[in-house]
Amino acid sequence: MKKYLQVFKISFQEEFAYKLNFVMWRVRNVFQIFLTFFLWSTIFANPQTVVFGYDRSKILTYVFGIMIVRALVMSARAADISSDIAQGDLSNYLLKPMTYFKYWFTRDISSKALNLIFAAVEFVLLFIILQPPFYFQINLLTLFLFFVSIVLAVFIYFFILILVSSLTFWAPELSWGGHFLITIVVVEALSGALFPINILPTTFQYIVMATPFPYLIYFPVQVYLGNITGQAILGGLIIASAWCGILWFAMNFIWQKGIKAYESTGR
Amino acid sequence: MLYTTSVDKAIIVDRLVKDFEVSQKEPGLSGAIKSLLSPKKKTIHALKGISFTIQPGELVGFIGPNGAGKTTTLKTLSGLLYPSSGFVEVLEYDPWERKPELLKQIALVMGQKNQLWWDLPAIETFELNRAIYEIPTRVYNENLKELVDLLEIGKFINTPVRKLSLGQRMRMELTAALLHKPKVLFLDEPTIGLDLIAQQKMRDFIYDYNTEFGATIILTSHNMDDLTDLARRVIVIDEGALLFDGALEELVSKFAKEKIIKARLAGGENLKGLENIGKVKKLSFPEVIIAVPREATAVAASELLQNFPVEDLTIEEVPIEDIIRKVFRGELAR
Amino acid sequence: MIKKYLKIWWIMSKNSFVMVLSQRLSLSVFLVGKILRFMFFFLFLFFILKGAGTLAGYSGTQVIFFFLTFSVVDVISQFLFREVYRFRPMIVNGDFDFVLVKPINSLFRVLLGGADVIDLITIPPLIIATIYFGVLLKPNLLGIVLYLALLLNGFLIAAAFHILILSLAIITMEIDHVTMIYRDIVSLGRLPVDIYKQPLQMFLTYLIPVGVMVTLPAKAAMGVVAPWGVVSAFVVGIISIFISLRFWNYALTKYTSASS
Repeated sequence: MKKYLQVFKISFQEEFAYKLNFVMWRVRNVFQIFLTFFLWSTIFANPQTVVFGYDRSKILTYVFGIMIVRALVMSARAADISSDIAQGDLSNYLLKPMTYFKYWFTRDISSKALNLIFAAVEFVLLFIILQPPFYFQINLLTLFLFFVSIVLAVFIYFFILILVSSLTFWAPELSWGGHFLITIVVVEALSGALFPINILPTTFQYIVMATPFPYLIYFPVQVYLGNITGQAILGGLIIASAWCGILWFAMNFIWQKGIKAYESTGR
Repeated sequence: MLYTTSVDKAIIVDRLVKDFEVSQKEPGLSGAIKSLLSPKKKTIHALKGISFTIQPGELVGFIGPNGAGKTTTLKTLSGLLYPSSGFVEVLEYDPWERKPELLKQIALVMGQKNQLWWDLPAIETFELNRAIYEIPTRVYNENLKELVDLLEIGKFINTPVRKLSLGQRMRMELTAALLHKPKVLFLDEPTIGLDLIAQQKMRDFIYDYNTEFGATIILTSHNMDDLTDLARRVIVIDEGALLFDGALEELVSKFAKEKIIKARLAGGENLKGLENIGKVKKLSFPEVIIAVPREATAVAASELLQNFPVEDLTIEEVPIEDIIRKVFRGELAR
Repeated sequence: MIKKYLKIWWIMSKNSFVMVLSQRLSLSVFLVGKILRFMFFFLFLFFILKGAGTLAGYSGTQVIFFFLTFSVVDVISQFLFREVYRFRPMIVNGDFDFVLVKPINSLFRVLLGGADVIDLITIPPLIIATIYFGVLLKPNLLGIVLYLALLLNGFLIAAAFHILILSLAIITMEIDHVTMIYRDIVSLGRLPVDIYKQPLQMFLTYLIPVGVMVTLPAKAAMGVVAPWGVVSAFVVGIISIFISLRFWNYALTKYTSASS
């Protein structure tokens, strides 16, 4: 346990060492929020507008909610696993008496901690500047369920990152490409980071909600806002947990296969 | 075919100064924050006002310890670095202006570094260079054939560069650099990392290129053999200042007055007697290092072998950096 | 002279293409990724417009045209200037020295030396889509001419930015994040900059002139741009190129070259 605490500390410091790196990353996050915020703000410029069941205050609350959830769920270093594999550095870690996955999970938590601090600051600043209508949840049960959904989201994202990184076992030249395609393009679109899933036509909604992606951002935010209640929350949590399980098995399975392929090429 | 140049000095360097600014960083988190808010800069004086001239057709060795300023000088002569002050002229051009007319007459080759496109066969880089240097087709084909034959690279001209060995890559590198028959050639550590045979081949080629085409060549190296084989004239630089500029023989005889004998002894008695053989530089049993005057090397060695239980013995030259540092410290009697 | 540079651009692009084509898997993955990214945003706009009808006073077709214009500028910039993304390794391992020593303009080499073949595939359908939606807007001749001229101006500004990025890389060795931030800011131009409140709108029009690069040409095609807007756009374009070139020359004097 102590060694993971060390990993946490070092990972935290490392992000500071690449301070420019980190600052830029936060700046980019802020720009994303700007785009989304202003887009929706404009669509709802007329205060009477209601689109797909959202009015101005609801949608802007959604946008701001995304900020925090993103910091919690999608700040992660585990994507770097693919370059560990591609460059043969994986060997160093396999030799150490520390589970590789636990190592990376700790690094992810460290990253989330750091990002959360900054996201909170940005939240306050942007709140003052942009003055969105924001709904503060007070129902304890809802908050608890929100917390559960976040935990599930963190695991789902972590498993996805490892699965995508595993591609590198068989295709080292894809260390960046795989993440570009899945982690960035697909996840961004379907997780609810750009728009709430329920603005899509119903059929599309069903399809998307069957994938693991909306449970990363859309579902947690909606739970927090109280837009999903009762049975729907339960249903969502069950699907999220199911995906958690499926991805966990898939991840371990593929990883084992990958390690064998990795060792056989003797890198 | 000998190139006649109309210039009477190929390279002129007059009181060249080059300073670099480096930012200082303190360790730790507070250091990182400090360096963000009030960055500290330190000035490094890479070249402290050096002067020399080189005639067309000379082959000059430019030597010194790491960080002495050799590469900085070469890079300033090729127009890569901007002089802090002083005067530099190559073939009567200011290299900093990087005029195409000058660039078409010079070439820079750096050991272990490639201008070749990594994933493609070398021939593609050659073709690109042909377009860049505007070499007429007939001339290009002639030069290419000449270089391919001389460097024996015909077999792998179509192999992707990343699949070649270092020695093969360096030969390709030379070809790419010489396709336009430059009159001035800057070579930065051309033999570094090469095995002994490849080194020798490189040296032979450079020698031929200099004598047959009358090209002016400046060569930097850490390798003593590069110098003894090639350079008739040697410029010694250390910490940004010139220490010596003259014939190689003079340098060696002037400064390398000793040779080093390294021995491994079987027994530890009477070690004091070692001091009669020569200057004991290091004694950590069973290894001993003794410096002896050049002329007395054979005598000293045989004395050592006769009077001591020697298991293993080697005779070496004093490393050139030692000579240079000695000169700089004024330790060696001239 | 132009012939020489065109020929060299052709050879370098050819080399670049061959290298990318040899990695077919990577090529397909990136191609699919780019197409998906475009499609997702396109669909998103589509649904938004279906629900809301208009955006900041612009009709659905107009909004889509804005997005397509952005995409054209973005993709063609990436096609031409892909080499900028490879500049950092070039500086770090000292290969830039070889570029400087050749009798060819070094900026030309590092700016335009690596045209991206993946975009060669994505550009034609994009242009067709843009023309399709553009025609739906029924522009007059002046509108079309202004559109093309302002697009060209937009590329000039994009070039200026990339030159700036390259210059910063020489001085600070840091480039990847500046490039990403540039892309993020420009991506704000996916929608007409009118939707952004001041001072962000000012910022996007005059400081990082995304508005000039993308929104203005589209507006010209729709015939809703003021003459002074067009003039100031060209002024911005010329000034930006001028400044960036001066900065590049300055950066070269600060070049320290990787040590041996």
